[in-house]
Amino acid sequence: MEQHASDLSNEFKRSSPSGNDEGSQSQPKQSTLPNGLRKSSRKHRDYIKISVPEPKNRLPLEWWKTGIAFVYALFNLVLTTVMITVVHERVPAKETSPPLPDKFFDYVGRVEWAFSISEINGMILVGLWCCQWLFLRYKSIAARRFFFIMGTLYLYRCMTMYVTTLPVPGMHMKCAPKKDEHYIQLRMLRSERYSAKTAEEKKEISQVKQLHGDSQAKLQRILKLISGGGLSITGSHILCGDFLYSGHTVMLTLTYLFIKEYSPSRFWWYHLLCWLLSAVGVVCILLGHEHYTVDVVIAYYITTRLFWWYHTMANIQTLRSSPQNYLTRSWWNPVFWFFEKNVQTRVPCSFSWPISWPPSCFKSSCKNYSMVQNARRQ
Amino acid sequence: MKKVVYWSSEEVSSWLAEEGMPEYSDSFQRLNGKDLLRLTEADFKKPPLSLVCSDNGQQLLNKIKTLNIEHHIEAHKNGHANGHLIKGKNGDSSSSKAKRNGMPNGFRNEMVQIHMPMPEKSHFPMEWGKTALAFIYALFCFVFTTVMISVVHERVPPKEETPPLPDKFFDIFDRVEWAFSICEINGMILVALWLIQWTLLKYKSIIGRRFFFIVGTLYLYRCITMYITTLPVPGVHFQCSPKLLGDWEAQMRRVIKMIAGGGLSITGSHTMCGDYLYSGHTVILTLTYLFIKEYSPRRFWWYHWICWFLSVVGIFCILLAHDHYTVDVVVAYYITTRLFWWYHTMANQQILKEATNTNFFSQVWWYSAFQYLEQNVSGTVPRNYQLPFPWRATPFSRNVKYTRLDT
Repeated sequence: MEQHASDLSNEFKRSSPSGNDEGSQSQPKQSTLPNGLRKSSRKHRDYIKISVPEPKNRLPLEWWKTGIAFVYALFNLVLTTVMITVVHERVPAKETSPPLPDKFFDYVGRVEWAFSISEINGMILVGLWCCQWLFLRYKSIAARRFFFIMGTLYLYRCMTMYVTTLPVPGMHMKCAPKKDEHYIQLRMLRSERYSAKTAEEKKEISQVKQLHGDSQAKLQRILKLISGGGLSITGSHILCGDFLYSGHTVMLTLTYLFIKEYSPSRFWWYHLLCWLLSAVGVVCILLGHEHYTVDVVIAYYITTRLFWWYHTMANIQTLRSSPQNYLTRSWWNPVFWFFEKNVQTRVPCSFSWPISWPPSCFKSSCKNYSMVQNARRQ
Repeated sequence: MKKVVYWSSEEVSSWLAEEGMPEYSDSFQRLNGKDLLRLTEADFKKPPLSLVCSDNGQQLLNKIKTLNIEHHIEAHKNGHANGHLIKGKNGDSSSSKAKRNGMPNGFRNEMVQIHMPMPEKSHFPMEWGKTALAFIYALFCFVFTTVMISVVHERVPPKEETPPLPDKFFDIFDRVEWAFSICEINGMILVALWLIQWTLLKYKSIIGRRFFFIVGTLYLYRCITMYITTLPVPGVHFQCSPKLLGDWEAQMRRVIKMIAGGGLSITGSHTMCGDYLYSGHTVILTLTYLFIKEYSPRRFWWYHWICWFLSVVGIFCILLAHDHYTVDVVVAYYITTRLFWWYHTMANQQILKEATNTNFFSQVWWYSAFQYLEQNVSGTVPRNYQLPFPWRATPFSRNVKYTRLDT
């Protein structure tokens, strides 16, 4: 009876009832006494391990998911650029299809430098958001959300751009020539091959000859558009047809929403500044007659709704398990689950230095005092 | 049961055993009821009683006290008149003060009102007033839309100047002439089905309110998008009535004609052009399907499928008839579904009805209107059905009233 192995500690049976037991049991009873309580001088080799559940990290970083979101956003950006190139070919010429009647354009005449303001504002906002993002503690989660929402918005934009092509909003817009215009030019030039050319004409011929192939020309345009970020300032906004809905509005609105959401609420002056930048940028798009009003309105609506929808689902945990949650009927719900299923709580607005200081290679290694410290570090 | 005073020692010991204190039975062998009542704390401090239990007999004394009270209540079932005093004759250790109403501490003789919670307010109050408000809102939005169409009609560029915009669907599919009638017939069937279903619902007012609010808001959005930018006619087949520049009376007459016809081509009231972004027909087709599906039993899957089919065919026919651009239909579908889902999620979750800073749903402009309409509705509206009129009212039923229970 004395030599029980530790795994039999719960199956200890009483062989005979003792005389002092009042409630004498005739059948064997499971003993709940662990062997460790016995007064014995045996070695403590039968500790019972009580597993304490590890405190789960409620905001895991999971950089690989951010990587996937980044790839998704990149893919959608490239798809948009390709789509712009495709749509460009279908835009009706300014002469045949005059700009559509627009209420804003009726009231406010065109201001030439307005579009540059809008683009500068956009660049400032993107720069501010990038700086702010660097200082966030939960960078990966915020970045994942930004990439996903931006990617989805650009995907929607591809669809609306592609199905119906709006004419150019103003006669001032300079659209690059289309491929059939190229053909005409090229044929004209080839027919005059043997005639003498001035230096200018030769230059024109060589330029046109550079863009002689369809796919080659298109590819070049795509690369130029991507490298310039689609901005007029960088000279890459030469293609027309991407009017419904406005990508500039999307970026202005989305960066403002993200800046506001992931910064402390007491920085009201910062929020106000960004709001002003955003609003002025959007108004300047219209002032520059670069987009129809409906493009801007729809872009604003879709951006805000998507942002609010996503963040409400992400922040309110009870919503996720509720059966009456119609938000799960959107097509991107499985993707949302994939990204956000391990994020258990609202991302707190906490900041940290992007690089830990001092860097670990400078830390001195002489400070190991005892085994306890080692164990603790482990 | 005899009073404790008259108990014999056997009764005392059997009571002790009942109460689960057999350890006293040895010591109390010669005690009868009277002695039991005379026990005090002091007795428990001396042996032999102090050896029995370590709590100085508190438990036993409490039980004796309870016993006494029970008897007292038994004896005076009809309640005390004031003035009955206990003079401490029984040696009760409990009542040291004389009380006017004769009950030991803690007992009153007046009735104690136990506050029963009121029968709960209905979770789904009818509130027809709010439904009426929502109806007026929807009506206003319809009229506003019609006026807007009339205004926009004046600005549509003529077909000759501005050809139809390039559209991918139009490139692939040619125009089918009778398709738009199919779309409108489907729309009318769906609206009729929804109306019938609505009359059979139990919580008509709440659901009606939601329908009117959502439809009104969608048409309001439509007004905005129609007005700010005018798309040209999608096809040369359109017969737009001539522009009445500045002639208000004629415009009013046109507006009334359109409202009367419901804006449908079948009724001949769809003569005005310019209302392309976004498509109202798609809104109605989609919205009625969503409402039908939401407020009908899950097991009627065949019914849901039929309505879905009607809806999809209707939308497809809009495009086949070249009556709207594809982007009009896509945007209309998106806005309708999102608004419907948004509204119903907010209505079904209590946490979303409060404007906190995690609840971004409260940032929409119509949030205060939503709160007003839905604040008394707690929880999901159950899908209950009832006949709109009581069955007994019809002359066909022959009910005989039997008893008062029947009413």
